Amino acid sequence: MIVAEWKPLPELLAGLKGYKNLLLVGCATCVAECAAGGEREVNTLAPTLHMALKNQGQDINIITRTLERACEPEFVEELAEIAPQVDAIMSLSCGIGMQLIAERFLDKPLLPGVNTTSLAIREAPGLWTARCRACGDCVLGETFGLCPVARCAKSLMNGPCGGTRKNGRCEVDENTDCIWYLIVERAKARGELESLNQVRQPKTWSNSAHGGPKRIVREDLRS
Amino acid sequence: MSKPPSPGFSPEIVVLYCRQTLDAEAKPPEGTRQGDGFSARLVLLPCSSKIEAYQMLAILDKGADGVQLVACPEKACRFLVGNNRAERRVAHARGLLSQAGMAEARLELNRAAELTPEDLMNLAGRHAGRIKDLGPNPMKGGTN
Amino acid sequence: MSSRVQTNLQKVLAAGHFAVTAEVGPPQGPNPEPVRAKAAILKGLADAYNVTDNQTAVVRMSSIAAAKILLDEGLEPVMQMTCRDRNRIAMQSDLLGASALGLKNVLALSGDHQKASGAGKLNGHPGAKNVYDVDSIQLLGIIKGLRDEARQQGGDAITEPAPFFIGAAWTPLGPPVEFRVPRLAKKIAAGADFVQTQAVFDLKAFAAQVKKAHEAGLTEKVAILAGIIVPRSAGMLTYMNKNVPGIEVPEALIARMKGAKDAKAEGMKVTVELIQAVRELPGVKGVHLQAIEAEELLAEVIPAAGLTPRPLV
Ligand code: SF4
Ligand code: SF4
Repeated sequence: MIVAEWKPLPELLAGLKGYKNLLLVGCATCVAECAAGGEREVNTLAPTLHMALKNQGQDINIITRTLERACEPEFVEELAEIAPQVDAIMSLSCGIGMQLIAERFLDKPLLPGVNTTSLAIREAPGLWTARCRACGDCVLGETFGLCPVARCAKSLMNGPCGGTRKNGRCEVDENTDCIWYLIVERAKARGELESLNQVRQPKTWSNSAHGGPKRIVREDLRS
Repeated sequence: MSKPPSPGFSPEIVVLYCRQTLDAEAKPPEGTRQGDGFSARLVLLPCSSKIEAYQMLAILDKGADGVQLVACPEKACRFLVGNNRAERRVAHARGLLSQAGMAEARLELNRAAELTPEDLMNLAGRHAGRIKDLGPNPMKGGTN
Repeated sequence: MSSRVQTNLQKVLAAGHFAVTAEVGPPQGPNPEPVRAKAAILKGLADAYNVTDNQTAVVRMSSIAAAKILLDEGLEPVMQMTCRDRNRIAMQSDLLGASALGLKNVLALSGDHQKASGAGKLNGHPGAKNVYDVDSIQLLGIIKGLRDEARQQGGDAITEPAPFFIGAAWTPLGPPVEFRVPRLAKKIAAGADFVQTQAVFDLKAFAAQVKKAHEAGLTEKVAILAGIIVPRSAGMLTYMNKNVPGIEVPEALIARMKGAKDAKAEGMKVTVELIQAVRELPGVKGVHLQAIEAEELLAEVIPAAGLTPRPLV
């Protein structure tokens, strides 16, 4: 899923200065799964913002909505009726949904309520960890299904750096596995440690963000 | 941040309590009751684990002076994880309250068992006593 | 190895001498004097001097500039280059520039993550974006391409080969240990002519890894310089054992340092013993010495180990 996190409250409050009517929008898809922008989080943030602003002497009316999928125009359309009543929209959807909302309601300032941070899984209750960075040149077939781009702090392609800790964790964070440690473990278990001996040449990054904004065309699907 | 005590301030406390905390014989009380120098609205929860941070925040945002969650003693929860979860949610909500410039103490978790309705009122009264020092909820008389 | 390059380090190794390298950290400022001061202390003690590239991700004078200052002082530098801060375009450009300045030994590293820069007393730049366009093994391949094929990574030709003596780092005792010899083989396959190892304290474990490399025929293809850090106290050893990945310090050694009346003198003795011990290992062709923030110790310990004067080749 796409994972996002609330922006720090002071940043949110600073962005709300001067507004009287706010539409706070969530999305029931990825950001609900990662507990950043689903209905529950919308309902949590609304009173929090309201109390905080009131304590700063600002009275604001917050209307809440949670869309099924903020990244699909037909769902965003559900805001058409309410949008004219507010002077700004704050979205807790991922950056994709936010842009669709901004595009649909061009006259309303769009305030991001979250930072979109990663493509991750829920590893355990209350714990999300990165799995993919949409690099555009997937190597999972060579790394036993473990992604070194997203899960190695240095995106190394040829094995572990010298920083792997004694317990197999990454030098950068004692709570994160060194992914190359795990890749080697898995290769061993499969009896294929030798497959990692081949030198992997520099990757082609241009099929992702590094090639400029991504644009995919499928002629068979064009209307 | 304690304000000077407001004369005649009678705190409104919302008591969210778990059925399991009551004496099995007791009939779960509900609705608003008048205490000595405070009032308490008693709300029965099926289990304290069902309470969400936003519900507690919303009650305070709407102007209640204090919220008290009454959960069963640790390890006594019928759903095992229930009251632990309640603890974490209260901690989360308190964190948000303080970021919003609200006194965290307005929200409190209590653990108890075999309570009578009177015991519940006594707990509310104790909470009200502490809240008297804080003064009325600054949210009172807001726009929504 | 290309016949075109003949750095001092390369010649010392080719002549079969036991090589010595040492480390020089550039200053956190624009003044060349601290580099010259270190050069004055270290001159004549080693065959070549590593110049670190923003070590621990802390901003320092660039390794290229500091290496050039050393060169002007008559010391042969080994310019370190990490993969953290440059993409393949900047790397190759800097390599050509370094070569033009006469810097011919280069050592490729992954580099410390930028998070490390803020871990100590400094603010550092933990908010920086890292690059890691290529990793250290791919960088070795790039340097080799510039040297042996006069080609850039993208395939375009450069005007003439860029002569480099190519180095890499090796952490023989880092987990997963069973992959460390294969990883050395990868570095050699990619282009490494010499490697400097993570600091050795556990001789037995180190010898076992070197033996594996030796038996795999790797020590014929690459010169291994064993890393040696001069220990200054038991506390320092305990710290490194616990916190520095790839460093294993035997309990007995920590106890020995603890029991010593004069920790500094004992540290010198330990260093000399370590040097003599690694020298016995087939496949070890030299030592890479570090005295973190205490270069003057090297001026004592290198002669004490019988490693001076350095050969003139
Ligand atoms: S290799 Fe690339 S595409 Fe594959 S999982 Fe990793 S980041 Fe995603
Ligand atoms: S310790 Fe492992 S995961 Fe961390 S940077 Fe090094 S190789 Fe990558």
